[in-house]
Amino acid sequence: MDGGHGGVDRVFAALGDAGRRSLIETVATRGTATATELAAELPVTRQAVAKQLSALADAGLLRATRSGRETRYEVTPAPLEEAIEWMVSVGTAWDERLAALRRSLGGYGKSRSIRQAPDDSRS
Amino acid sequence: MEVEREIVVPETPDEVWEALTEPERLEEWFASEAELDARPGGEGVFRWGDGDERRVVVRELEEERRLVLDWDDGGTVAIELEECEDGTRVRVVETSPEIAPALELRALSLEPSAAEPPTPGGKTAPPDAALAWTAATAA
Repeated sequence: MDGGHGGVDRVFAALGDAGRRSLIETVATRGTATATELAAELPVTRQAVAKQLSALADAGLLRATRSGRETRYEVTPAPLEEAIEWMVSVGTAWDERLAALRRSLGGYGKSRSIRQAPDDSRS
Repeated sequence: MEVEREIVVPETPDEVWEALTEPERLEEWFASEAELDARPGGEGVFRWGDGDERRVVVRELEEERRLVLDWDDGGTVAIELEECEDGTRVRVVETSPEIAPALELRALSLEPSAAEPPTPGGKTAPPDAALAWTAATAA
């Protein structure tokens, strides 16, 4: 483990709010978007959208670039990929460990557990 | 964020508990080398064949029911046992390391009470365990 998972929680905190999720989704669908464009599509004010966009950019979920007088945003996949990577690697590790636990227990059958197929982890 | 897994094994909770808490049993399924002082505040070291080594502190322990370990990187794993019709339900929840969650929330302007200091307890790592760990490693 590289210990660099601080962003993971930030990502999930950001995604834990329905308003922010729909904002990210809308930006992702459009490719890029400005606060003005999003406010026209969503039932929120431009100021509210601009504030959320800026917070999401701080969390590393959106990348901001100046475009004339406005800031244009696009989705940055890296933090999400990090989160998914963590879930997959930890999930796979536990799948393997629990299968090994099952085998190990099968080999220790004491009072009542007589296993016919100790290494069959599915059926 | 969390990863959750659950299996049902035909053994009884006390049989499963031994496999969770006795080092020589842990070496059969969890790590290549295991040391664990299975009591609250007890420490453990796990080593794997690839050279990986992780240290833990036992945060919670309830015989034959619940074992919670704090990893040295700030992550946590909770293993719960529950007797069921087919044997024992083993439920594992691993929580990712958190770095200053209060700061992260503040950065996202999630909380209007951003000036509040982070509250101990709750879902964040208990300061006691962290202190115990620091003291132990410094000794």
